[in-house]
Amino acid sequence: MFGWLNKKKSASVAKDRLTIAIMSDRESNAEFPFMAELKAEIIEVVKKYVGVKTIEITKEVEDDMEALSIDIQLESN
Amino acid sequence: MGIVIAVISGKGGVGKTTATANVGLGIALNGKKCIVVDFDIGQRNLDMILGLENRVVYDLVQVMDGDAKIKQALIKSKVSENLHFLAASQTKDKSVLTSEKVKALIDELKEEYEYVLLDAPAGIESGFEHTIEFADTAIVVVNPEVSSIRDADRAIGILDAKSQKVKDGEEVDKFLVVNRINAEMVQSGEMLRSDDILDILNIKLLGKVPEDKGVIDASNQGKPVVLDSKSMAGQAYTRISGRICGQDIGMKDIESGDSGVFKKLAGMFR
Repeated sequence: MFGWLNKKKSASVAKDRLTIAIMSDRESNAEFPFMAELKAEIIEVVKKYVGVKTIEITKEVEDDMEALSIDIQLESN
Repeated sequence: MGIVIAVISGKGGVGKTTATANVGLGIALNGKKCIVVDFDIGQRNLDMILGLENRVVYDLVQVMDGDAKIKQALIKSKVSENLHFLAASQTKDKSVLTSEKVKALIDELKEEYEYVLLDAPAGIESGFEHTIEFADTAIVVVNPEVSSIRDADRAIGILDAKSQKVKDGEEVDKFLVVNRINAEMVQSGEMLRSDDILDILNIKLLGKVPEDKGVIDASNQGKPVVLDSKSMAGQAYTRISGRICGQDIGMKDIESGDSGVFKKLAGMFR
């Protein structure tokens, strides 16, 4: 009956969500500030040989293994 | 030597240009020589807010390219002789800015004015980076709303990485303006408090501006709301400008709401 009293106010939900989102934004930017340049340089290199459509670089973490996964989409002929 | 203040936001549409116009005019009304520069190349708007759109002859890009002298391009405010304005180019895009050109312009303006206010473009691409590069300090404008605050944090991150002052080993002070506060929503727990936003962004508070119909009315007329002493937002900008000019003005609690009945109700549930 008084369930609405226990319902979390949306402002505090916003604060929790923002705190987490911003923490992860800051981490990823601090770890790879060079991401944009890396991307541009890889495109340059690959473009010498084949046409590149897009390139996606993601960091993958599994247990204590970290990997950069680079996904290059080629232009179709 | 003047102080260079970049007004930034991250996300667009939070009232950054309105804040620039009102803070600039507020500083001028305090008797300080101030120039506001619209760095939002391609999206000129500060001229409208200041009511000076009919006076623009030369723009920022023409000055930086040497096609016009600063003296020819600057526009004097109709309401305060201490306020000058430099318009953005409407035809070019943000890619025309370079570090050298921006630095030369800012160095010249610093000689003439006590306060140089730069209205940065929204977003965090190259136009933004050039605007903040030579700033001494920054005003960060946010709305109490998640996307605005998250984007502001990104903009602050870029400021801390790219500004010349930081590269020289100093710190760029950042001051928060929370714009469009709705006291009733804050009271009912549906809107973030300024204190929460400060916690999240970890910067200092410069001022709180309430949501106020007067702001749109003022922009309709091209008369910045700081001129309207009856408007809540106008009063907020007067306080903010005073603080920038070194006056000791206490933070007004605009988040508690002023309706007596409402206050009592809110108190009952606390």
